[in-house]
Amino acid sequence: MRWLWLVAMLISRLIAQPAAASTQWEQPAADLAEQISGILGPGQAHLTIRNISTISIDEIPAIRRLLEQDLKAHGVQASGTESANTIRVTLSENLHERLWIAEIVEGSETRVVMEHVDAPSARQAAAAPGLTLHRQTLLAGKDPFLAALETAENLVAIEPEEMVIYAHGASGWQEQRRVGIGQKRPLARDPRGVILPFFGGGGFEAFVPGMECTGSYAPAQPAADWSVRCRESDDPWPVTWAPVRQTGAATTEDTSVTPVTAFYNASRNYFTGVISPNLGVDPPPFYTAAWLFRSDSSTLLVTGGIDGKVQALENGSLKPIAGTRDWGSDFAVLHSNCGSGAQIIASGSGEALADSLRAYELPAREAVAASAPLTLDGAVTALWTAPDGKSVLTVVRKQAGPGQADSYEVDRVTATCN
Amino acid sequence: MLRQLAISGLVGLLALPVAARTRPHYGGTLSVEVEGDPWQRPGGLARQLVLDGLTVVGPDGTASPSLAVEWKSENDNHRWQFRLRTGVHFHDGTPLNSANVVASLTAICGAACPWTAVHAVGATVIFTGDSPLANLPELLAGDDYRIALINSENPTSMPGTIGTGAFQYAGLSNGILTLTANENCWQGRPFLDAVEIHAHRSIRDQWLDLSVGRADLVEVPAEDLRQAHDQRLTVIASPPATLLALTLNDSGALSNPSLRAAIALAVDRSALFNVIFQKQGEITASLLPGELTGYAFLFPADRDLNKADELRGGVTPSSLALAAEGGAAMQLAAQRIALNLRDAGFNVQVAAAGASQHMDLTLRRFTLESNRPQPALESILRAAGIAVPVLEQTSAGPYKVEREILNTHMLIPLLYLPRAYAVSGRARDLRPGPDGAPQLAGASLSDVAQEAAP
Repeated sequence: MRWLWLVAMLISRLIAQPAAASTQWEQPAADLAEQISGILGPGQAHLTIRNISTISIDEIPAIRRLLEQDLKAHGVQASGTESANTIRVTLSENLHERLWIAEIVEGSETRVVMEHVDAPSARQAAAAPGLTLHRQTLLAGKDPFLAALETAENLVAIEPEEMVIYAHGASGWQEQRRVGIGQKRPLARDPRGVILPFFGGGGFEAFVPGMECTGSYAPAQPAADWSVRCRESDDPWPVTWAPVRQTGAATTEDTSVTPVTAFYNASRNYFTGVISPNLGVDPPPFYTAAWLFRSDSSTLLVTGGIDGKVQALENGSLKPIAGTRDWGSDFAVLHSNCGSGAQIIASGSGEALADSLRAYELPAREAVAASAPLTLDGAVTALWTAPDGKSVLTVVRKQAGPGQADSYEVDRVTATCN
Repeated sequence: MLRQLAISGLVGLLALPVAARTRPHYGGTLSVEVEGDPWQRPGGLARQLVLDGLTVVGPDGTASPSLAVEWKSENDNHRWQFRLRTGVHFHDGTPLNSANVVASLTAICGAACPWTAVHAVGATVIFTGDSPLANLPELLAGDDYRIALINSENPTSMPGTIGTGAFQYAGLSNGILTLTANENCWQGRPFLDAVEIHAHRSIRDQWLDLSVGRADLVEVPAEDLRQAHDQRLTVIASPPATLLALTLNDSGALSNPSLRAAIALAVDRSALFNVIFQKQGEITASLLPGELTGYAFLFPADRDLNKADELRGGVTPSSLALAAEGGAAMQLAAQRIALNLRDAGFNVQVAAAGASQHMDLTLRRFTLESNRPQPALESILRAAGIAVPVLEQTSAGPYKVEREILNTHMLIPLLYLPRAYAVSGRARDLRPGPDGAPQLAGASLSDVAQEAAP
């Protein structure tokens, strides 16, 4: 019985797929047929169809049927046999659109009509063995996202010149409000930002080069009523959250370790190395820092230097970490409850258009891969730990091919233990 | 020599830094070598680094804000109003204003501008045209219309070299142009401290300098792309960005349209593509590449000597003069075309470079300045000196205009070629722009220590 049900499902899917595919061609086929018949008038014509586009060859019979039907409705009897008149239809495309072109040959005269057809879109997914990383897209847009914060009901994203507040909608996050940051100085070419919630909720604090913004809101308050204020500031930025400790199944903030703040070089793209509180020694200028709590109760501050070296600041001294040759400039800590409980998620090195994220354990002074790379379809431009520690958020810049603008995504990355 | 270069290239490749990738570093000097003039229009690298346009064409081919932040058209595209960005300064500190912009645009094209008049009103620049200027925002992104400070009071600068761009003119010494980072650039300070452009350098010398680490970015002509790959050079190449075409002069021996049509049919594009340009780019008989329009196949590119002979109708015009603009490959291509035309009964002489005689045919290169069909076609027609008809803003609009222009056989498209450069291992984030030129303002060097900000 179960076997019969599966066969029935398979057959229904096979039938439904071309039917669904063919509906998208109904309008362009009708419009092209109307243009052709406007030139040719009622009568017979030999119809040929050539496909030089990315439309699957499986869809050509359906397109042919649609064209024949629509031509017939206008009095043009299209056939595959020779005729005095010929309609040569070419399914073509360019950088911006699909283009269906009909060459209508009447004797020695050839006339051309064209029909614009919308271009397609595509997406991909990824997986890994061992500890497996998963990715979910939260936001997508054409403007760069510098950082984002999810609250219970909203999402606040920082763009280079604006803060954007979203609310849950039927189809994901819906934009509610934009607030200008009001920078007075030119924007940096590699802009960065940080946003984190107030302890206990009810607001957020955000930093972009030279500016600091605060927002406050009441529960369920519409974004239009939020108070968001920005001011010029060269105050240090928070670069780590308090480490999160595992207590049984629960995770709690470790209040014995103070969050680190660091001075950001507003005319460049890195932290100067001057941090607070004093941990015994200042690290060299760095791009990224993260607290990592290890199973032996030790806590270390991991920094990614502007020279590409990854070091751990522990007990007042800096120690290099080996095994980080494949790391890019961005990493964040994920409290996965797998393995030692917390891993570093690091972006990949190299110039590849498709970046990747990979989990690493730091059992000693060597990074050990704990997952397979999670391939992204673009370059990581920001990576940070979510306030609950159980996921990391990343911004991915998807470099477009010729004719298309780059786009950006905010993705949430989580892990499952294998 | 080639063997030495090949070995050097391979050694260079092996010596690429293997440190982890970091965010782009600030600092360092990028050394660039070019065969031509870095200030030439269009496509001169120095122009692109020093001068900004009112608009910029994005990867999708549409105009985006640059020195102008917004624009609107009125009166059926006969009048356009561009509002300028505030807080922008020229490299010498002069504030950008509408009067400066109007002075610059007027100096650039004078009476040959696409618009009939341009004038400054407050913080806006107003363009008016006798005919509709449907593609004006995209046209203004073109290299021809970059804004330079006219009548600068700075006596140390070359005329037309003070702009608002990411780099500023710093000096010219021993043929090396030095551009330094504009710390106050409205788009943010570039990552590089400086770009040095060594001009008028032969391709052979450029490659040699790349192999010994004296250059970071050198040119790779389309005809040398295969050799560059064989030598394992790291090459960045654009999609087809340069149109190779014959322009025909209809005032002399080729005033007869049938003779021009015969010439169009007699040219063997395949030979140019296979032999001279080493199968790089693509053969074309349309003015815009197929990738841009989807309709290029409607213009057949096949040679047809019988039809050419038929069209010539036994008429043998007096000797035709053919000139080629550009370097050795263009001269070779001209020789090849002359052979093709002799096969079809024409008597063609290739003129020496720089000859001042009347030319019946000229082999020219046209830069594709946009990847949207309408503005791209308009810029090619303007560069060819052909009156631009009103272009319908539909998919079929450019096709109709191309058909009309190509039926006159005053312009015969031959090949679309990529624009390519070879880069050193330390140069990062170099991407070709819409016109194929490398976008140096966003480039950085991987081997410089990130220096402290001033």
